[in-house]
Amino acid sequence: MGSQSDAVLVRRILAGQVELYQVLVERYRAEFGRYATAMLGGDADDAADALQEAFIRAYRSLASCREPERFKAWLFRIVSNQCHNTRRGRRGHLRLDTIEDPPDDSTERQLEANEIGRTIQAALDDLTPEQREAFVLKHIEGYSYADMAVLLEVGEDALKMRVHRARDELQRKLEGLR
Amino acid sequence: MRHSLIGAILVAASALSTLPGAAAAQDVRAQLLERGAPAEFADQVAAIVANAGAEQLPTEPLVSKALEGWAKRARVPQGRVLTALNQYVVRLQTGRDIAADAGFDPVPGPVVAAAAEAVGRGMTREQVSQVMGFASEPAAAATGLTVASALMAQGLDAEAAIRVVGDAYRGGRAPEEILEFPSALTGLQAQGQDMAQIARRIMQGGGLPSPTAPGMGGRGNRPGTVPGGSAEGQKKKKGTSGGQ
Amino acid sequence: MNERQGLSPEAHRFLDGEAAGDIGPEDRRAADQFEQAVQSYASGLETPDSAVDRVVMAAVRAEARGARRQSVWQWLVSPHLFSVRPALVAAAAVALIVFGRVLIDVPGVGIGDRPTGAEAQATILVRFELRAPEAQRVSIAGSFNEWSPEGVELVRNATTGLWTATVPLHPGEHEYLFVIDGSQWIPDPNAHAQVDDGFGQANSVIVVGPRGVVRS
Repeated sequence: MGSQSDAVLVRRILAGQVELYQVLVERYRAEFGRYATAMLGGDADDAADALQEAFIRAYRSLASCREPERFKAWLFRIVSNQCHNTRRGRRGHLRLDTIEDPPDDSTERQLEANEIGRTIQAALDDLTPEQREAFVLKHIEGYSYADMAVLLEVGEDALKMRVHRARDELQRKLEGLR
Repeated sequence: MRHSLIGAILVAASALSTLPGAAAAQDVRAQLLERGAPAEFADQVAAIVANAGAEQLPTEPLVSKALEGWAKRARVPQGRVLTALNQYVVRLQTGRDIAADAGFDPVPGPVVAAAAEAVGRGMTREQVSQVMGFASEPAAAATGLTVASALMAQGLDAEAAIRVVGDAYRGGRAPEEILEFPSALTGLQAQGQDMAQIARRIMQGGGLPSPTAPGMGGRGNRPGTVPGGSAEGQKKKKGTSGGQ
Repeated sequence: MNERQGLSPEAHRFLDGEAAGDIGPEDRRAADQFEQAVQSYASGLETPDSAVDRVVMAAVRAEARGARRQSVWQWLVSPHLFSVRPALVAAAAVALIVFGRVLIDVPGVGIGDRPTGAEAQATILVRFELRAPEAQRVSIAGSFNEWSPEGVELVRNATTGLWTATVPLHPGEHEYLFVIDGSQWIPDPNAHAQVDDGFGQANSVIVVGPRGVVRS
């Protein structure tokens, strides 16, 4: 299929070429996959559920995506909402143990890395949803503030504040380790 | 062996399920087998459908035609069905070309299908283009072609059939409304008018009357005359809620 | 080191990708360490794999097929994406994988909410009649029931010898034939027109409008 733009794909899908939706699914599962996992306590299964539900909902309301060129932002909102719903539905479920313990023959460095990973995940889970989302998009997905502003429809200054607060929280927890 | 080659192609095609048409091909194959069709025939039909899908042609009309052909097997040999399907693919390609020339981009499946049917019923390329020209939206184009070719099949002059659709759209009528034209034509005939008279009236800009207008003859399924009526049909559907 | 805990404003600006000119070595080290920790976390993240794609596409195809089944001619501009309850979608997805085909002819499911707000395509009840006093069985096979001769059975009026059935049809064109005693395929003299079926036979055609059908 080459790399057709979102807008072209959306129009063709709406015209009846339903199979092309798979291209969009693959594209954005890859792009939003880490976001979803990070937002859901590191649980890839929860993330899979959230993404699946989001993609199916997005297909159902595809005709209401008014600007196919902005498909990514439109889809992101659905994914973000779905992560929120999934998370709310699993409140109380212990997630800290979902990052697997390393096998016995791992190195010192790996043990340390896992502990850092767990700490960061725990710190993320303690943030407000807005801070968590902003941090994940900035540091895990690598978006610029400009892109994030478009995606979330929030001003860059507000986003910076959220990210800074999130970083401070994480830094405090990381310093507790050292 | 031809059979296993086709089977292998199909397995490969369905594994690469990103190929458009692969799902339709699997579907028609499964339905044919379920209805007792021999595997080789089902595979050949599925291959035609898969290829059409890969070419971005609408596959739904092909699937329907294949099932029709198999249902009529007492009088239609399998070879004839396959020939007809291949001919249909050619008509779909023609329909797509005409639609692309008429400015549709991308070309919507329903427009291609309607154009293919119209061509199959004897409309010329120019006539099909003309009808497409009345309609900026796929819905209007597809319905315009369906109605024009239905009117022609009823015996109305091609020129009049196209003219009445064009006038209706120019006059702001919606696609649903022109679906009433074949009924209106029948109604006028029941009143005693002949096709020549009706065509003349159309060419003078008189259009076709609403089939439910007073004085229109013929037996109809007007709301209320059939047990339950169409209103009940509507109620049944609107009452359905879709939980998410 | 900072008593404040957290990162310094310079470190934040540096991590934001802004001018690093005035960042001191300690802050720089803190920022680098922070970034490293985060990347270590990120690379350890297990992300959803292509199983997601398969489940989604199975559901999408099932919905698209359900939509087609309701209306052979999708003649409106935007597709009507029918709302199907999630449990049904999951069940349909499983059935699709196992049986290769999904039947979504569940009453009440199908035409439901339309997120786009477009009007639901209501069906019209259309009556079919055939005078065939000698027949034992009469049914209709057509484009609206995938040409299955078992699809729609007509009922005989003993006095008049008239066979009738009432069928809900979507607005648009439908091709069909009567099937007598399971074997004789005959056209409907009351149809709008007869057309070539592509196999050298004829099909009857009716075009259903939003308010019904008038036939001779």
